[in-house]
Amino acid sequence: MSFREKSAWITLVSVLVCFGIYFWELVASHAGGRRLGPLPSLHLLLLAVSGLVLLQIALTAFAAATTPKDARAPADERERLIQWRAHTLGYHVLTVLALLLFVPIHFGHSALDMANFALLAGVISTLCVCAAQIVMYRRGF
Amino acid sequence: MAVPIANHIRRLRFEAGEMTQGELAAKIGMTRQTVAAIEAGKYSPSLEAAFRIAHAFGVGIDEVFQWVEER
Repeated sequence: MSFREKSAWITLVSVLVCFGIYFWELVASHAGGRRLGPLPSLHLLLLAVSGLVLLQIALTAFAAATTPKDARAPADERERLIQWRAHTLGYHVLTVLALLLFVPIHFGHSALDMANFALLAGVISTLCVCAAQIVMYRRGF
Repeated sequence: MAVPIANHIRRLRFEAGEMTQGELAAKIGMTRQTVAAIEAGKYSPSLEAAFRIAHAFGVGIDEVFQWVEER
């Protein structure tokens, strides 16, 4: 497995874990009838982002240590093409999800809810980018 | 989807003293995975990369890659 494929896996797993916990906490608190206010939500978000950064640094350092030569080498033309295609897909997913943000506005959601929906759109598009990269790396292109 | 370009990289590597995919990758500035994808016909390299591969074996580009007519 190339270093860049490992990086895609690392981003996929760390985003899934950190923001999975974040959104799970939001949904659980909402379902339990104790909606989180703006400040507790911000604290939870800061925890999720901090966890994401630390997890990514730790896992990327480990991946780089196991394949140091590969990690130092610049991306070759196939890898750049895979990244470009995956980010194009992610852009389209984000565009569609951003347009869908107009739907919850009509159901009386708060500004905090809308911010979380926008964050979810960004998270989903990032997961799509990583998944597309992994699929292309796995099948050759 | 397979690309309509055949290649003889496996044979050329064998004739070059069982050169590994990693060794070829290092010579042309690519990853071993990209060389494997080119060799398996899953990825068409750029013209520059094709010339680099041919140069690594000391042969012409047409000895490495051939266009396969689609039916």
